Amino acid sequence: MALLTSLLPSFVREPAVTEAETDTIRPLYQVQELEDAYKVTTQLPGVTKERLTITDEDGTLTIRGERSWKQPSEWSPVYRETAQSAFALSLYHDNVIDADKAQAELKDGVLTLSLPKSEARKPRKIAIG
Amino acid sequence: MRYVRYTYPVARTAYTAGRTVWDGLDHEVNRLFQTVATSLGSNSAFPVDVYNDKENVFVRAELPGVDREALNVEITDDQLTISASRKDPANADSTAESLSRTITVPEPVQGEKVTAVYQDGVLTVTLPKVEAVKPRKVSVTVN
Repeated sequence: MALLTSLLPSFVREPAVTEAETDTIRPLYQVQELEDAYKVTTQLPGVTKERLTITDEDGTLTIRGERSWKQPSEWSPVYRETAQSAFALSLYHDNVIDADKAQAELKDGVLTLSLPKSEARKPRKIAIG
Repeated sequence: MRYVRYTYPVARTAYTAGRTVWDGLDHEVNRLFQTVATSLGSNSAFPVDVYNDKENVFVRAELPGVDREALNVEITDDQLTISASRKDPANADSTAESLSRTITVPEPVQGEKVTAVYQDGVLTVTLPKVEAVKPRKVSVTVN
């Protein structure tokens, strides 16, 4: 067997990581650049304010939201298309935004994030002395 | 009648080191088909769940950010139609995109008693089932 596996390495190869194995769903989102800010609109149906976390670390903004609705025990599913998995979205921004001044609003399952551009990255005129 | 199942847009994993050439090819092929699938389905479709309990049939539809006034639920016989419209958040002047889906209700329901609630971007429609015809005892007096 050892000879066989050495001849055919695919026998011992780990299965490729498939997207189906991830336990979170990437929500539909849209990023829009305004004059002094970026606007991120994310669709998070069934997510309430209490179950939504937005974190900013090392130049990556992460949005994670869990559905608050639980199926009552007496209900039995007939046909299902939605998943119970949490929504997760990571956006890499390389510190072009000022996370301290970020504003978020959640309404009817739509999260609107306003991320002001950081002062350091704004274009400035350099005077010639 | 054709069912078009809604599929969630799947997270695209970044190409990571340690994978073989073939994994990359697989990934590209999957990505190609995904692009086709999502571009057809994501605009007008939305996911719907159907549940059942002793007295009611429940339909839950994920409709984030739709206009409440334009949210419409109609029932004719066993066909439930949910229609809604949504404005593009990036462009307030654009025409709203309309969303619509028709599903077959699995059991006979009382159409006039249907109620709907829209909360947190999820529409829940409650359809009371038709009460089962109870057997009645008729006593006949024989002369």
